[in-house]
Amino acid sequence: MSIMQDIKFYDCRVIEGSSTSIILDNGKIEEISRNFSRGAGVRALCGGSWGYTAVEGEIDLKHGVEAASKLAFSMNANTPKEDVELAAVNPPKIDNLPEIRIDPRNVAIEEKVDLLKSIEASAKVEGVSSTRVIYLESEFKIGYRSSDGLDCAYELLNVGFAVSAVASENGVYQAGRESRFGYGYELFETENVLELAGRAGNTAVELLKAKTPKGGEMPVLLNQELAGVFAHEAVGHASEADLVLEGDSILENRIGEQIASPLITIIDDPTLHEFGYYPFDAEGSQSRRTEIIRDGIFNSYLHSRETAAKLGGTPGNCRAQGYSMPVVRMSNTFIDNGDARFEEMLEEVRDGMYLIGSRGGQVNTGEGIFQFNAEKGYMIKNGELTELIRDVSLSGKILEILNHVTLVGNDLKMTAGRCGKAGQLVPVSDGSPHIAISKALVGGA
Amino acid sequence: MYELARKALKMAEKAGAEEAEIYYAANHSTGVNFKKDSLDNAKDLFSEGIGIRAIVNGAVGFASTNSARELENAVKVAVAEARVRENDSDWVGLPSNGKYPTVSGIFDKKVETLELEECIGYAMALVEGTKELPGTRPTSGGFTRAKGRQLILNTNGIEIEEESTAVSGFVDVITVNGQISTAYDFAVSRSLDIDFFALGKNASDLALKSNGGIKIEAQKTDVIFHPFAFSDILENALAPSIDADNVQKGRSGLIDKIGEELAAPELCIYDDGLVEAGIETSVSDDEGIPSQRTTVIEKGVLKTYLYDSYTAGKAGVKSTGNGSRSSYTSPPSVGLRNFIVDYPRTDVIADTHSGVFVNTIIGAHTANSISGDFSVEARNAFTIKDGALDKPIKSLMISGNAFELLKHITGAGLDVRKVGGTITPSIRISDMSVIG
Repeated sequence: MSIMQDIKFYDCRVIEGSSTSIILDNGKIEEISRNFSRGAGVRALCGGSWGYTAVEGEIDLKHGVEAASKLAFSMNANTPKEDVELAAVNPPKIDNLPEIRIDPRNVAIEEKVDLLKSIEASAKVEGVSSTRVIYLESEFKIGYRSSDGLDCAYELLNVGFAVSAVASENGVYQAGRESRFGYGYELFETENVLELAGRAGNTAVELLKAKTPKGGEMPVLLNQELAGVFAHEAVGHASEADLVLEGDSILENRIGEQIASPLITIIDDPTLHEFGYYPFDAEGSQSRRTEIIRDGIFNSYLHSRETAAKLGGTPGNCRAQGYSMPVVRMSNTFIDNGDARFEEMLEEVRDGMYLIGSRGGQVNTGEGIFQFNAEKGYMIKNGELTELIRDVSLSGKILEILNHVTLVGNDLKMTAGRCGKAGQLVPVSDGSPHIAISKALVGGA
Repeated sequence: MYELARKALKMAEKAGAEEAEIYYAANHSTGVNFKKDSLDNAKDLFSEGIGIRAIVNGAVGFASTNSARELENAVKVAVAEARVRENDSDWVGLPSNGKYPTVSGIFDKKVETLELEECIGYAMALVEGTKELPGTRPTSGGFTRAKGRQLILNTNGIEIEEESTAVSGFVDVITVNGQISTAYDFAVSRSLDIDFFALGKNASDLALKSNGGIKIEAQKTDVIFHPFAFSDILENALAPSIDADNVQKGRSGLIDKIGEELAAPELCIYDDGLVEAGIETSVSDDEGIPSQRTTVIEKGVLKTYLYDSYTAGKAGVKSTGNGSRSSYTSPPSVGLRNFIVDYPRTDVIADTHSGVFVNTIIGAHTANSISGDFSVEARNAFTIKDGALDKPIKSLMISGNAFELLKHITGAGLDVRKVGGTITPSIRISDMSVIG
């Protein structure tokens, strides 16, 4: 009882869901697996300390609140610090859920297996030696309640697939990958999945003949997916206010400053029906669009209630994987359209590299350094695409690259993925139009 | 749910499974985390669930749940899934009882009974360590202790139960003056033998030494990888190719290489589930196969791939005890146990006339896991001049190939370190291509 008097805030997230995965590998079903889960995460705040308890299975919320409160109380008693304030929130409106035309739960598992088989057949173009197709479907219901009086819930159902193909020749192995994720089984109609699968197969085969170029500093043209990874990894993470408050972001104290070419506008928007969609975040804050960079000027961090109160801003980007403790995260992050045409951009780069796709990346937000690997690319000579290249990576300083953007295309495209931070993966999407950069460090042979 | 595991096995048989397996796992962890130099939160996480493998006519179905109420449904779904699938001619059967080894050092009662106040003390030691050297401060980090319990039951009579503990400390620091540089240090152990204060101090020391980095010319040179950097490359660019599943599916760069000399002649690599107090040590793997020590590379020669029970059955060999699960929610697949790199050790930096020393790398997960090609950004890297670390390097990209790298190992340090399950000294590679 005495402890609860010192707890000035607590909240609970209860999550219930199920998921299905099917893996078809080299023509054989390797795995059909289903998971049914429920659990809850409870936060309590005492002075400047948080206590957090997560429990799987059957949940006694009263007990959970007590346990989290006890942790917060002990932490505050042992190492008291400045009180944490939370920005105010209003009950969220939930009127923008993605519409689902075909509920995947009404599709028989045999039909899903047949679909995977046809996807795999399309990926198995001449020269492909190994294929793998994964189908994922998950539905979950999230309920949120807080001592501020919020009580809200939503259900979401998503579905998607990933295909990979491997080609080999004389001990060289190359892979091609494609994936799509969305909100209804109609995804498999609206996206041309068989064509995508064929593209994965063709990429693998083509890459066998590709050369590994000599690395160095040069002008580059990034395709939508790779530029999207740059927006997410290099700019998005550094704008997460929790990292800023830890003193681990080069974007600290830069609001209002010109940090990028005036051609660059970067937006995070969880209200879009892309893979990073949510109606309210893990603190019950209404999701909203944030302009991180507008016309090259750094405009806003991404916030939780705690960081919004500390730095001044609006919450709405606090997210969690399952029952984990929520942290500041991105949603759908993209570089907004400019007006350059692809041919113009090739001409602008003139002699350099066109880098396509991404095998992932990493960033050191404190030092402002990033590294990521392209799936493939082409040499650009005299403003024309020439030979195919592979094993190319891009690295550099975030702020330098942002200032070296010379053209932004008009062909914005989003890609679904999962982003890792604090040991948690959450669904996101990122995107961009093509962008031309006057100088970047490319790694190769 | 623990008490429901045996019942679940019976339910699976009753539902029509010819063979069945119940995998129960529970974990309780307590973490105390700091941001900058003050404690931010304490977390208590309880996880518990059951995964069911059901086999009908040589086809496997899998379902899992953490809810006692859903258990019966999950069992039925696993059996129903198996029925949907075609007979898998490569399926041999679930493991049978074997002779189990004794392992030690994986459970520490002191870790299990740690009070929150003690956890706070260890977290504060990480912070205090960083303050030992002026000019840096922590950005984030924390202390975690965990206790796990696992039970494997199957219809062939396997019944294995095991408890284990783990503690870990992580600290990330940044310099406060001059150029910005960052560094981190971490350690994981089965018991409380970690010097948390020293971790904090090491991280600060490394961040300070990395300050004021220079640019170096692109060149081919000797590169010494710290255990953090070397284990990162091994796990991402080499390990996938010794996974028998990848070999069988044509997705390994080491297909048909058994018996070939593919590494420096003095290099041995072991996969070992029995190491005293190892992070990947246990009586059995995650499907009940007795743990063992497997020689993967002996004097430079590739001796074997690593198998779980399914891939072993398919190849007609014995499982190497590498059936691994990341959680009760997934069926087993091939995974590393303690992965030990052994090479004659000397004071390797002192033996190096000129070259580069790399503490950590970023981007190893972007490696081509089949061909072994990687291109990574080195962090906290230094030039080596006349047998000593000389100047910090601001930015450095390193490209190479994991298989080529094994051939070019020319030295190892005295600094053997457990990086999670990978146990390795610093390793020197000749002729690596670096771009400054």
